[in-house]
Amino acid sequence: MTAKITFGQTVISSMINSVRNKFSMIPVWLWLLQIVLTSFFSMLFFALMVDSIDSSVTVEYVVIGNAVQSVAMTTLYSVSEIPGTEKHVGTLPTLMSTPSSLFSIFFGMAIFNVLSGFLAVGVSLCYATLIFGVSFASANYPSIVVVIILTVLSLAGMGMAIGGIGLRLRTSAIIANVFSYLGLVLCGVNFPLSYLPEWLRTVSYCLPLTYAVDATRGAVDGSTISALWEPISMMAVLGLLYAVLSVILFSFFEKSAKRSGSYDMF
Amino acid sequence: MNFQAVRASFRQQATQFVSDPQWIIPSIISPFLFTVVILMIYQDVTGPVVLQAVLGGGVLGMWANTLFASSFTISYDRVNGTLESLLSSPTHLIDIIVGRSIWNAFIGLVNALLVFVIAELVFRTGVAMVNPLLFFGTLILTLLSLASIGLIFSAAFVFSRRSYVLTSIAEYPIYVLCGAMIPITALPRWSQYISYALAPSWGIDAMKLASVEGYTSMTGMNVWIDMVIMIAISILYFMIARSLLATVERNIRETGSAIRY
Repeated sequence: MTAKITFGQTVISSMINSVRNKFSMIPVWLWLLQIVLTSFFSMLFFALMVDSIDSSVTVEYVVIGNAVQSVAMTTLYSVSEIPGTEKHVGTLPTLMSTPSSLFSIFFGMAIFNVLSGFLAVGVSLCYATLIFGVSFASANYPSIVVVIILTVLSLAGMGMAIGGIGLRLRTSAIIANVFSYLGLVLCGVNFPLSYLPEWLRTVSYCLPLTYAVDATRGAVDGSTISALWEPISMMAVLGLLYAVLSVILFSFFEKSAKRSGSYDMF
Repeated sequence: MNFQAVRASFRQQATQFVSDPQWIIPSIISPFLFTVVILMIYQDVTGPVVLQAVLGGGVLGMWANTLFASSFTISYDRVNGTLESLLSSPTHLIDIIVGRSIWNAFIGLVNALLVFVIAELVFRTGVAMVNPLLFFGTLILTLLSLASIGLIFSAAFVFSRRSYVLTSIAEYPIYVLCGAMIPITALPRWSQYISYALAPSWGIDAMKLASVEGYTSMTGMNVWIDMVIMIAISILYFMIARSLLATVERNIRETGSAIRY
């Protein structure tokens, strides 16, 4: 008689496993150093650049934008590369031969990256005020907390959807890489969306980072949750849509790979 | 230097790139998108500073490509299990990595040229160069100076799989310090000394002198002195990378620790 493994059990065990894997590769201090320094230097680069020219884009604008973008690097990129990594190191067939669904395994693995996302954005917002002088005097903290939670979760949902596509491709890290850079171009991180051609803005409105950046700027300026209702609800809806899409993609590609025996053929 | 091995690894890297076209994304498209961000920020700026932005964007694209390629070339050998074979061959690692770096530098050049063309055609930067021929010479040499830093990074990647952390941390500081987008003179005094120790800083200064009308050099020197200093520092980087790789290689052979990382 075999005991049935629940979704929750798989999620928890794969989460624990992913944390062990992570810190067997790099020590905790190095991982922390990466999170702390990478976001700082990206904010510094854009802040110094904007400060050195006579542009209508302000230092505060790029600092907040890049603080939110730091979540995309730790959450979207890391979550989406999980299936590709398993495929590359040759553990995907083993994972697929277990009774647990691939989605539940990767969902568990993604939890650590989601928590890292909270750390990254927290540290980046501290830089914004302590080093780059962004005033939080009129900030609405409940709004900031809600926006950050939704930002991390919606980007993780998008990362899972990209990871689902990556299950079919040779590697998901490469698509994740291009999405990270697209975020810089399309989501109003370093310049207003009005700079983009109208047709390109349509793509921007399909990406949760666009609303995340907009809502964070609003929350720092003091907007309440009700005033930020539109970007907040759009982030929630898009996050949910991407999460549902990821379930469908994982299920479809998993079944298709098992049927054709092609999960390791890339 | 074993030129036969350099040529063979160049061909191998080229074949790998062509047989797996998805590498176009991180090698060309992503750095290009980064430059687009810079050009968008400069959208409402006019004057010679626009050309500086275009040049800076091109150099950043080259650097992103060099750093990415130099880090992944060894990481992939490690993951694919081919690092041990490379180490057990009679060819030195430096020869293999130099061949691959030359291919990566070529892709970096494609990247930079793409940025210049798109800047002109899409962003209508409308900029003219003072001396296009000299500019092209400085561009090639700057690219090689970037590749020489990439060699040092490669040595770190042979040494430890943890080095990818170094890549992600080092990307933006070098963007800041090499003066591609932010004038070195605008940085704090202490960091200017680090900038002077970076070969690409001199290359970028030379590129700007060769192309931007009325540009004042970071040290008041002329384009030729900049190029001589850049070449001297690049040779020094090459020597350091060669020595590092030889030490790491010898250590691995002695301890048999190629996969104990």
